[in-house]
Amino acid sequence: MMQLLYLDPGSGSYLIQVIIAAVLGALFYFKSAWNWIKSFFSKPKPETEEEKNESTD
Amino acid sequence: MSQLINHHPASFRDPSGFIYEKDGTVYRFVSSVYQPHYDLLQSSGLAAELTKQNLLLPFTEINENHTGRTDWYKTLEPQLIPFISYAWEWSFEQLKDAALATLSICKTSLKKGMLLKDASHTNIQFVDGKPKLIDTISFEIYEEGESWVAYRQFCECFLNPLLLAAHKGLEVHKLLLSYPDGIPAQLTAQLLPFKTKLNPVVYLHVHLHAKISGKKTAKETKSSKKVSSKNIEQIIQSLYDCIKGLSLPEKLTTWNNYYEETILSAEYLSEKKKLVSSLLEKMTYNTVLDLGANEGEFSLLCKKEAFIVASDFDSACINSFYISLKKQKQTNILPLVVDLTYPSPAMGWMNTERPAFLRRKKFDAGFALALIHHLAIAKNLSFEKLAVFFAEVCTDLLIEFVPKEDPKVKEMLTWRKDIFENYTEDHFQTAFEKHFDLKTKILVPGSVRVLYHFQKKQ
Repeated sequence: MMQLLYLDPGSGSYLIQVIIAAVLGALFYFKSAWNWIKSFFSKPKPETEEEKNESTD
Repeated sequence: MSQLINHHPASFRDPSGFIYEKDGTVYRFVSSVYQPHYDLLQSSGLAAELTKQNLLLPFTEINENHTGRTDWYKTLEPQLIPFISYAWEWSFEQLKDAALATLSICKTSLKKGMLLKDASHTNIQFVDGKPKLIDTISFEIYEEGESWVAYRQFCECFLNPLLLAAHKGLEVHKLLLSYPDGIPAQLTAQLLPFKTKLNPVVYLHVHLHAKISGKKTAKETKSSKKVSSKNIEQIIQSLYDCIKGLSLPEKLTTWNNYYEETILSAEYLSEKKKLVSSLLEKMTYNTVLDLGANEGEFSLLCKKEAFIVASDFDSACINSFYISLKKQKQTNILPLVVDLTYPSPAMGWMNTERPAFLRRKKFDAGFALALIHHLAIAKNLSFEKLAVFFAEVCTDLLIEFVPKEDPKVKEMLTWRKDIFENYTEDHFQTAFEKHFDLKTKILVPGSVRVLYHFQKKQ
């Protein structure tokens, strides 16, 4: 595929995106992990009406 | 053949196509080099989806090559834009909405395998009250592993000015007038307060970006590391969340709340509204330029079918007017920050790319309500000069004469020498009657001010 690079992305633009992607990826990972850990210590959510209905079906 | 076509002076950068005018209609030429991208834009349903979401300016395909060029692929006829405005005339919320629209377009595009190759504020125009992408050919097929080519441009055009406004109280229109291509990361990093370094998202997009940009090592890493579309999606989402959370620091300006805090009576305002409404009913107009619009009280009196540009030099007024128009879902008024004594100049290549504010359109009607004393006294402009100016911009003119006995004028003259011998109603009327016919003049009850309706001489 032909790339029409008529816009100068700027030197360092690729590198900064690689870094940001890595940091955001790591943050997302830690957030998910933290939520997973938290789920052990927090009370289970009360069942909603819908879920109750589903379980009685 | 192609030289017969009148290329738009701002349409020369992208080899994929260009804008031209023929018999008063604006068209877009799409070159065959853009074919794969255009085909995906249509076949994926992306163009239709974005048009439906009011994010892309609607266009229709015309099966005719007006240019005679052999690389013709499509001719597009975009919806007409009633008034072209630029980021150096937008308030904070307008630039913020334009930024969020650009990012929303990117998010939807990625899902369809495309991305914007150009993320400049000049590609966004306010049409029917909403910021829309006007550059149909700035979509590009996204190839896995590629970075977002317009990332730096987006940060410079949108993120950086918005951060400077939110953290330093700087006005976005003034920043972008100085930096029409956007504000570099290094400058933004220098100007932002230290606490922004503690915000991980701002740190990455601005402070770290400033350190890395310009480094030659970037090329070496390109071959070894890859960015995925998932990464690009995260980058776009982080920019979206960051910008969404930005707001102007709370501070009132001289003009914001003019009507609440002014020494003029409430009777004056309601009577003036009645007078303006009754004059408007007798007038024939489709377009209005409201100068010194404040928070648009009088623009709102115009009929809903008319298109109104409401300008004021106070960005805080225009910002709150824009917010209230959005809440009311009123789409026929375009609020803009313009200082009449320094209206936006012609900018860009050969001064033709972005035309000057006063060269863009002639209006059927003009409003200059509670404005003349600010121009004549505060800016030393003679009535003769003002009459020439108004005759240039509109046909019908509703203008309020504010005499020296008025409390506001007295206040203005408290701290300066009164050098305005000619500042009388007689002089005012004589100067304006050289260019206009007097239709009506009425004293506004509750004040010493006089409302004039002039019509330009044939």
